[in-house]
Amino acid sequence: MSTTEHSPSPAAHDARPPRRRTRVPAWLHPRTWAPTAVLVALLAVAWQAVAREHPYILPELGEVGRTLVEEPSLFLENAWTTLFTALIGVLMGAGGAFVLALLMSELDVVRRALMPIAVVLNVTPVVAITPALVVAFGFGMAPKVVVTALITFFPVLINVTTGLRSVPGPVLDVFRTLHASRLEVLLRVRLPSSLPYTLAALRVVLPLSIVGAVVAEFVAAGSAGGLGTMIRNSAATARLDLVYAAIACLAAMGVTMLALVTALERRLLFWHESQQDPAR
Amino acid sequence: MPTSVPGTPGHRGVSGDRIEVRALTKSYPGSDRPALAGLDLEVPRRRFVSLIGPSGCGKSTLLRVLAGLTSPDEGTVDLFGSGPRALCRAKAVGLVPQTPALLPWATVRRNVALPGRVNRRAGRGTDTVDELLEGVGLAHAARSYPHQLSGGMRQRVAIARAFALRPELLLMDEPFSALDEFTRESLQLQLLDLWQQRSTTVVFVTHSVQEAVALSDTVVVMAPGKVHRTVPVDLPRPRGTSAVTGPDARTIADTVRAHLRQAWDGGAAEPEPEPTGAR
Repeated sequence: MSTTEHSPSPAAHDARPPRRRTRVPAWLHPRTWAPTAVLVALLAVAWQAVAREHPYILPELGEVGRTLVEEPSLFLENAWTTLFTALIGVLMGAGGAFVLALLMSELDVVRRALMPIAVVLNVTPVVAITPALVVAFGFGMAPKVVVTALITFFPVLINVTTGLRSVPGPVLDVFRTLHASRLEVLLRVRLPSSLPYTLAALRVVLPLSIVGAVVAEFVAAGSAGGLGTMIRNSAATARLDLVYAAIACLAAMGVTMLALVTALERRLLFWHESQQDPAR
Repeated sequence: MPTSVPGTPGHRGVSGDRIEVRALTKSYPGSDRPALAGLDLEVPRRRFVSLIGPSGCGKSTLLRVLAGLTSPDEGTVDLFGSGPRALCRAKAVGLVPQTPALLPWATVRRNVALPGRVNRRAGRGTDTVDELLEGVGLAHAARSYPHQLSGGMRQRVAIARAFALRPELLLMDEPFSALDEFTRESLQLQLLDLWQQRSTTVVFVTHSVQEAVALSDTVVVMAPGKVHRTVPVDLPRPRGTSAVTGPDARTIADTVRAHLRQAWDGGAAEPEPEPTGAR
């Protein structure tokens, strides 16, 4: 048998209409999600096995799901309380840190004065000072917001300060030969240059703000709402389904925040090497 | 008293007809020898002068002093009757660093238009961005971002940006050193076109003898910290490929190489044929 019978001739090959390759988004490709899906399935099986043997340690996943579905308003209300505390806290902490980073990058004396205090604040366990904050700010939302602000302050301060100082020397040289003012350099170079660092800080502090809010709800006495309070009260009454349902809500909030920051990065950092296709 | 050159665009603080550098000395902390050791140099207005010399001989330091980016320890710098800072204040200095130093978040058009947007109080007009982009062959890429361009295209954007203000003095620090030979030659021709249209004084730092000869009116060969010798490049302008590769160009290049070897070996320069500097 001749080989030509089996292999298509070049002419036949050319006669075929060009095949249009539809590009599948990377996140839809099994290579992306299959390993995680398999791992999650294995963990779920292991969870169920433990839950059946030890119902006082772990509730069954179905039970957690049912709790979530049956009382959505309970979780939504408490999630909103926690989220609101987290957002106000991050606005104060990250916003304050951003303004201070601007001052520190422009005025060396401010940097030298504030950095040691910021470092001490960072290494001090915020949970330990929460009771003192309750005494200072009273019951209610204020101490929780302050705890959240303190937790989110330092990462933003360090990242933004680094970003504002990370402008390439030749770019600054060009601006200096144009006799640009400090404000022009700040607005046209330093702030855009610091954007990758600022968004990297947000990636850390937005989920951290939820941690801060929950921790504050645990520690601050007199909390009337929030997922942290719900977890604490449910654990005390052995309602593990509520505990894990609240934890699932917190995880969903964290993931949503990360997704938002990622979308923001894609939108604002299209020019940055972190967003470039490495195959280019 | 310095005389102003008639017919040139009026720039505040620009009245002289040359750059005069006298007894320039600059040392860096921790270095055992000065970067500049009593350097003297004269560059007449509208000339294209290349600085060439061994690494660490002070070429880039001299360029930074001229740009007002580094202050000398001793000596004087007179840029057409002004000091470096005054000339920068008047936005009469263009700088093309070794890396293109573009703003990565801005389009090519916005990068080229940048000098016009900064320090508006200097009241200096700019060239039309479209004309400049046309001049460097990047009209089609006006809306592109730097990360979408090749290295040669980015450097062309940097050159267009430097020319945007029609600067009195253009300082270029090895701008083509990272490019392949073909791109480098293409950019040399475009640079010469822009320079001839705008009659800017150019001080160009390079390590390439061929590049220095192809572009310049004068090649300044530097020894560590000082000028070793100035070599006039008497080739006709505009210079085509044949002019810069012909026997005259080769002879000048050989002369520059011989002086470079002397500068490298620390040998004494022969007496200058002319009493002045980079004429």
